[in-house]
Amino acid sequence: MSLRIALAQVAPQLGALDENLRRHHELLEAGRAAGAGLVVFPELGLTGYLLQDLASEVAMRLDDPRLAALAGATRDLSAVVSFVEESGDHRLFIAAALLEDGELRHIHRKLFLPTYGLFDERRFFAAGDVLRATPSRLGVGVGIGICEDFWHLGVPQLLALDGAQLLINPSSSPGRDLAATNEVGLGTATSWRTLMRTYAQITTSFVVFCNRVGVDESISFWGGSEVIAPTGEALFSAPLFDEGLYTVDVELADVRRERISLPLLRDERLELQAREMTRIVAERAGLAADSTADPGAEAGLDVLPAEPLREPIGFAARRR
Amino acid sequence: MVALDIPRDAEGRPAFEIPVELEIDTDVARRVITDFIRSQLRQAGFERCVLGLSGGIDSALVAYLVADAIGADLLLTVLMPYQTSSAASRTDAEAVVAALGCPSELVEISPMVDAYFGQATAAGQVGAGREEGTSAGPEATSTAPEATSASAVRRGNFMARIRMAVLYDRSVTFGGLVVGTGNKTESLIGYTTLFGDSASAFNPIGDLYKSQVRQLALAMGVPTAILAKAPSADLWPDQTDEGEGEFSYAELDRVLYWRIDRRRSVDEVVARGFERALVERVDGLVARSEFKRQMPPVAKLGPRTPGVDYLYPRRRPGSART
Repeated sequence: MSLRIALAQVAPQLGALDENLRRHHELLEAGRAAGAGLVVFPELGLTGYLLQDLASEVAMRLDDPRLAALAGATRDLSAVVSFVEESGDHRLFIAAALLEDGELRHIHRKLFLPTYGLFDERRFFAAGDVLRATPSRLGVGVGIGICEDFWHLGVPQLLALDGAQLLINPSSSPGRDLAATNEVGLGTATSWRTLMRTYAQITTSFVVFCNRVGVDESISFWGGSEVIAPTGEALFSAPLFDEGLYTVDVELADVRRERISLPLLRDERLELQAREMTRIVAERAGLAADSTADPGAEAGLDVLPAEPLREPIGFAARRR
Repeated sequence: MVALDIPRDAEGRPAFEIPVELEIDTDVARRVITDFIRSQLRQAGFERCVLGLSGGIDSALVAYLVADAIGADLLLTVLMPYQTSSAASRTDAEAVVAALGCPSELVEISPMVDAYFGQATAAGQVGAGREEGTSAGPEATSTAPEATSASAVRRGNFMARIRMAVLYDRSVTFGGLVVGTGNKTESLIGYTTLFGDSASAFNPIGDLYKSQVRQLALAMGVPTAILAKAPSADLWPDQTDEGEGEFSYAELDRVLYWRIDRRRSVDEVVARGFERALVERVDGLVARSEFKRQMPPVAKLGPRTPGVDYLYPRRRPGSART
């Protein structure tokens, strides 16, 4: 089954929800006219990225009529849009919604909020707690992770293991490091390309990366959206920094072909991962002996102080 | 890596060196910066820019970038010489104006500066850089008139602030935003005048080291005479940055790059072959000028304080000039 994917590599206006909504409606129509079955927008495409204290002012609840209107524009179409979601208990999330056939089908709340370097997301947002693949009208499972979510190895893997064959990553990635030695003259682009191709290959899934362009304050977003085949081959790379609606045709049957010939997912050892993860969690919590800690280190710590604690507690005490 | 066509001096030696680790992709830099300039203007509700053209490479490069971004006719370049400014600076600035075809104004600042200090006959006694906030204390009281007793530091700072005042006035008459022309090197070592040359609405080259400014200027076609000459604040005759600071920009840029961008320790930078004394001196300059790179702290008293816990993007909805 052939699917035409439209990548809306747009430059949202910071804090201008109505204007960005209007643009989304426009591009959904343009995508439909271009024969697309799926239109993907970047992270916070409806609000802009560097919101700071504006976040609460542009937040929408899932029952917001503006969201329903946007969903209403997706008859016979799938779309991934991203915005600030306010929960019933007034937490603010960076969210992405899968809209299909006029309905809001699935919500992903960003799990990993970078708060280091030029990022300050955790100050303004709550982190999501749920990671789920979702069925879609496209006939394959869809897995959504927002920007930084895909800098955590487990996210694309869990989505694929949960049934996703199409991994979608809406991003607002700030471009930086112009060292001449970089593949395309931009360090950020080099890193993302390496990661996304790797994920596509090791999850034997399609990866759709939609990154915004434009400028918020000091930050320039670099675009370079991509669609990558389950073989790890980039089928399409959008230009850096150029706004546009780019369409790419993919053969969804390529997932089956690749998974039969390279059965990595079949061979994944979920029980092994779950067991070892459980052990590591217990060690970090001081509930089990840590095999790599200094002998005698306090439970939950891994370094033995120069002057040992007089009364060690927990596991270390029991080990002595 | 591309072979760079660096201008050569009379003996055929390259006028400067661009350290390999500092080389940037100039096409990407040009693209990011021109988009940045257009966005800053659009988001602020402006179409025009104003900048001070000194005849040096930094302001020349910014003029080229702005002209590239919005067209030369929307850029007002202001030449603001003092009576001791070198003739070459004026010629070089005029060469930029001629090459770009942008509007230009000449504003002599001598009357304004001299009105404050008095007529200077010996302007430019060699001072110790443009550093402020040092522990040196007030200058010794002198019976000589300020025209002759004011240090080069005071005169240089005053000139920089007069130029700032002129640019912000021209910002109104021309209806353009003042574009900053300071580079990353001088910002990091504090070789700037607070509220003087560091004042701007936005700065397109503030994250480029001097060596990278040179590389981009080369790529943008900035006149060779400007590329080849020794960088100078032109605050007194024959002053050069490198002479005053006793460093070469290539070396200084490398130390800053490894210490700051690549987070190497002093020992690690020394292990790369730099003199420990130089690395420590650079560290000291960076630490002592931290105050110049930040907004002044406001005493926190109320429930919500701008810059502390009232945090809005400057280009929020409704912020643009209408």
